[in-house]
Parts: sequence; C-alpha cells; structure tokens
Amino acid sequence: MAEKKQSIHISGMRQFKAILKKDIVMELRTKEMLTSMGLYALLVLVIYYVALSQAGSGFDVTRIAGGLLWLAIVFTSLLGLNRSLVHEKDQGCLDALLLAPVDRPVIFFGKAMGNLLFLVIVEVLVTPLFMLIFNAGKYAGIATAGWLAIVLLVGSIGIAGVGTLLATMSVNTTGKDFVLAVLFIPVMFPLLLATVAATSAILTQHPDMAVYWKMVGVSGAYDAIMLSAAFALYEFVLGA
Amino acid sequence: MKQIRIALWMAIVGGVMTTVAFLMAFFTSEVQLFGTVTLPKQITTAFPLLSGDAASGFMYGRPWFSQKIFYFHVPFAEASFLVFTVAAYFAIRFLMTRKKEYDTKTRVAMEVALVFVILTLISGDLWTKASWGVWWEWEPRLTTYFIMTLLMVAYFVLRNSLEDEERRAIYSAVFGIIAWIDAPISFFITRLIPSDHPIVFKSGMATSNLVPFIVAQVGMLLIGYAVYVVRLREERMRERLEVIKESLEG
Amino acid sequence: MAEPTTTEFALEVRNLSRTFGARKALDGVSFDLPTGAFLSIFGPNGAGKTTLLKVLSTLTTPSKGTASVLGLDVVEDAVALRERIGFISHNPLLYPDLTAEENLEFFADLYCIDNPNVRVKELLTAVELNHRKLDAVRTFSRGMIQRLSIARALLHDPDVIFLDEPYSGLDPHAMDILDSLIASVRADHTFVMISHDLQKGLELCSHALILAKGKIVLFEEREEIDPNAFAATYRATVGLGVS
Repeated sequence: MAEKKQSIHISGMRQFKAILKKDIVMELRTKEMLTSMGLYALLVLVIYYVALSQAGSGFDVTRIAGGLLWLAIVFTSLLGLNRSLVHEKDQGCLDALLLAPVDRPVIFFGKAMGNLLFLVIVEVLVTPLFMLIFNAGKYAGIATAGWLAIVLLVGSIGIAGVGTLLATMSVNTTGKDFVLAVLFIPVMFPLLLATVAATSAILTQHPDMAVYWKMVGVSGAYDAIMLSAAFALYEFVLGA
Repeated sequence: MKQIRIALWMAIVGGVMTTVAFLMAFFTSEVQLFGTVTLPKQITTAFPLLSGDAASGFMYGRPWFSQKIFYFHVPFAEASFLVFTVAAYFAIRFLMTRKKEYDTKTRVAMEVALVFVILTLISGDLWTKASWGVWWEWEPRLTTYFIMTLLMVAYFVLRNSLEDEERRAIYSAVFGIIAWIDAPISFFITRLIPSDHPIVFKSGMATSNLVPFIVAQVGMLLIGYAVYVVRLREERMRERLEVIKESLEG
Repeated sequence: MAEPTTTEFALEVRNLSRTFGARKALDGVSFDLPTGAFLSIFGPNGAGKTTLLKVLSTLTTPSKGTASVLGLDVVEDAVALRERIGFISHNPLLYPDLTAEENLEFFADLYCIDNPNVRVKELLTAVELNHRKLDAVRTFSRGMIQRLSIARALLHDPDVIFLDEPYSGLDPHAMDILDSLIASVRADHTFVMISHDLQKGLELCSHALILAKGKIVLFEEREEIDPNAFAATYRATVGLGVS
C-alpha cells in the first residue's frame, strides 16, 4: 500500500484540464449555458431594434454600435457566470473539489477558463449577427474583424476572471443573480468604458487606430490588475 | 468611555471648524476666477460668457457660487476616499487575522465612507448646476464618485444577502478590497477615454481661499472620525448584547 | 512531510477551537483516536459536529489549537492530507449531468490517480453500478447516488473516511447496502462519522463522542459504554441544545 501512495503525484495541469473538460462535457450534454446565453443575446438584439426603431434615417448606428455590443455581452455573461457556479454549488460539488488535493489557483483558472470559453463562443455567434442586423460594420474593412476579435478577447478575459470571483460569492447569497449584477456591473465599469471606446474607434467612419490601441492597452492593464487581485482573493472566498 | 468623550469633543470641534469654514468661504475668501470651462453647447447661466463660438465651444468663467461649494465638495471627496482606504485596510487586516472586530471596523468605516461619498455627489451635483447649468455631467470625478457609491451600496447588498456570519465577513472583505482597487481605475479610465465632456482647468489658489479649504477639510475629518467611533461603539454594544441574550437562552 | 506515516493515533486533536467573535463553534476540544477505530460523533444541532469534521477534513481551519490526521497537520500539511482522506456526506458531491463513469473519471483526474480507467471500473463493479455507468447521475435513485458517492470517496484509497450523516434520507434497502459497503472496507480504514441516529451510530462505532456547544461532553470506547446511560446522557445533551 505504501508504494501505491508514493506513486500519486499531483499534477496541476491534469487537474486544470479535468475541471475544464468536465465543464465542457456537461455543457455539451445539457447545452444549458450556450442556449440560454445565445437566446438571451438574441432577445437583447430585438430590444435594440425596438429602441432604435424611431431613430430616423439620418442616424449613424456605428457611433453607438460599440456600446450596444458590449451591453449585450455584459448581460449575457451575467447569465453564464451565474449558471457556471450554480453547477458547482448545487450538490455540494465545490466541497468535493476542495476536499481533493487541488491547489486553489487551479480551481480559479479552471473555472475562469471555462467561463471565458463559453463567453467567447457566444460572442463568435452573436457579434457577426449584430453587425449584420444593424449594419454596424458598414465602414469596416476585413482587418476590422481582427481588431474586433482582439478587443473582444481582452474584454472577455476581464469579464471571465473577475466574474468568476464575484459569481463564486454570489451563488452563496440569498439573491444569487441579482447580487451578481449589483457586484459585477460597477466593478466592470472601467473595463467597459475602455472596451467600448476601443470598439467604437474601429467601427466609426474614421477609424482611429491610436485611440484603439490606447484603449486596448488600458483594458489590458485593467485585466492585469483586477485578475491579480481576483486571483489573490479567490482562496479566501473558497475557504469561507 | 474615554473614547466616547474624545469623539464628542472631536464632533464639537469639527462642527465649529466646518461652520467657520463656511462663514469664511463667504466673507473672507476673495472671489477668484479659478479658470474657465468649455462646453460644447451654449447654456443659460448667470455667469459670464467669456468668448467662443459654436465651433470651438463656449467658454465660461468659473463663477463665484461654485467656488463656495468647492470648499465643501473637495473636502468631502478627499475625506470619502480616505475613509474608504481605511475600510480597505481593515478588510485586509480581517482576512489576515480573521478577527471579527476588523469586520465590524470595515463595515462601520464603509458606512462613514458612503455618507461622505453621497455628500460628495450632492455637492458635486450642485456645483455642476451652478458652474455648467446642468444637473448632471458625466465628468470623470463625478462619474467615479457615482461608481464608488454603487460599489459601496453593492458592499451592503452583499452583506445583507449572506446568512452565515463568518462567510459574510470574508466575502464582504474581499469585495471591499476589489471595490477599493476598482475606484481609482475608474477615475483614470474615465479621464482617458476620448470624450466631449468638459475638462476643468485648475489654477492656483490664493491664501485667503486655502485657509477655509483646509479648515473645512480638517473639520470634516474630525466629524467623520467621531461618527466612526460612536457607530463602532454602538455596534460593539449591540454585539455584546447578542452574546448576553444567547447565553440567557442557553 | 507528505511521506505516509503510520502513527498509533489516526486523529490527534489538541485544544481545538473555532471561534468567530463571541460565537464558539468549537471550544477547546482535545481527544486521540487510535488508527483503525470507528468514531461516532453525536450532539444536538449547532453543537460543532460539522465544524469539527470540516476542520479535520481541511475544509476550514482552526482558530486555536491543533489537529492532525495520520500525523499530518490539518493546516500545515493540508494538501498531503487531502490525498489520504475520503468524505461521504448526505449531499452526493456528484455532478448530476455527468454519467457515473464521467464523475469518477473527473475525480480520478483531480486525485491524479494512475490508470484511472482500471480504478474507475474496479469501483463501479464494487458498488454494483457497472451496468449504469453510462447513465447520467440525475437519473439515479437516492440509494444509487449514495453508492456512487462512496465509490467517489474510495477512489484514491484513503486511509481515513469521514461520514457526515450518511444514512439521512436513505430507504431501508439503501441503508443495508451502505452497511455492507462500510463493512467491506471497515478493516483497513479509520472512520469518523456524524450521526443523529443513536442506535446506528453506537452499533457501528468503536469510540463515541458527544459534543455540545463546542465542548466534549463524553468520549468513551464502545466497550465501556452502557447503552442506557449513554442514551440518557445524549438525551440530556440534546435537550440542552440551541433550538
């Protein structure tokens, strides 16, 4: 028995992959998160149409397209983050994770990576649709798609990272999703300002790459600072 | 008991200082043109339009009434951030020691900070009305304080939605730290984004203006500290009462 | 530190306290439990039973005092200790949307077990769930879920098994299965169980412990226990409990 014990060696990478794989398998089976997030995003697009229906023909949608896109992403991500952590909470599975010899950062990265993945999938589906329906890409060239992908990714990393921390707390509260929105939106505020500015800079009639790169840089700085904080504080949240 | 007496004195001295600063702001400080403000559109205001046209924006002299508010608005704002920092410090202390007293201190400091933030918002709002003729401007500082208010409200929402005492203390400490890091980032990013909103140019301050400013600042900090001490004491007594109640039940 | 240790005592608890403000979940608990023993913990709600189990299984940390399991400190050697303990709760600790096999494979990866497929199959056979291994746990009966959660807890061949009211919510048939499963691994494991069922707890245990308000009221070996006197003490303690 003693030899067998020694053969156990803990690999953080294997555990990280296991957590990520488990989330993906679960999602492929239930399709719960992707359908609810995707459907919700579509509903938001309908609401946008209603909101803009009286804007008139002189109205240039590209001036606010960045804002509209990120608004849809924020609300959709709230839904996904809440779901993702409810799965862990429901049958006490989070305790099972904590009972295993897993370093707490592995749990954080595993969950955050899963959340990022699902968010990116929804964005890949919804963004082209959004551009198409609202003709928001009328000034955009082929390269714009690439620039858009970069800013979407930088923004999504911040949303998934900080969101995972906040959702881990909010699933333990009495008002789960409401509490998540109240915590999440003000904390996300600076990141959204920067990503909306970057997105608008490339979608408008006269793209301004200087502003774009500056704002992507600012978003990246936000990610770096807030993810470090979330990472450092996650262990306390798990131990509570 | 001694602490309460000190707090009482601090409240009195702080009150007197704030009142003196208020009177000084109106009677001794010289009316000074702090600078100018450029607005994209012309607005109706009691204050002089210096120059400008629709293309370059309309320049307004920074009027005297907004200068009076300034003596209170800025001290409120500085005090609120100071108290917020104290709250974040106690939150870190709590996570390190897990002592309940730090949780109570964080919460009480957060309450005082929230009061100051709300006062900042109200005085700032009066200032935008007096200065720019609008009730609300998404100006970097004002926006940051608006977000800070929401962050602090979120802190209390989180607290109220958790049953388990220890979990509540840990989560709210974590969120308090996140909020404290987020607030300055908000400030920088609101300034960095490209925008049409007015940026106020600051110039130096005359001594006659600096004196009431500092008096007001110190006075408010004294009042803030007194409120903190009294609230903390009240909380401690309430906690002690709970313990007594519980032991009686047992 | 992580080296497997064979100590005379599986649990060594010294003056263990867990406090928050004035609330004392555990208040100076000390006891030793020999390796291979079966400890049943009794006590009213809020007595600190769950907190004690959480401290011993590294889910939470003590405020004061020390506790070690198999000679490994619950704070200092937490990671090494986690490889050697199993936990069975009334909560299944399983993902309902995954199949039985996927659940076990996931936990096998978390514990970094060699040849996970072989080990998973071995355990599925042991708990007689091999024929349902491809079904989602969601479709399982309460008894089947409990069997699977036992398989999960035994996956990494732990030396100490913690049981948190494992019998609650089980029908008599499922209880029998749980009994036989525990009996089959009883010989080479140390058990610590929280129980509300006095009879069941006494029947299984080699040592019994009654907690009330975070303090030990009684800690005795099974042979020394007079069932009637014990029941009386237990009832008196429960009567004392916080309602």
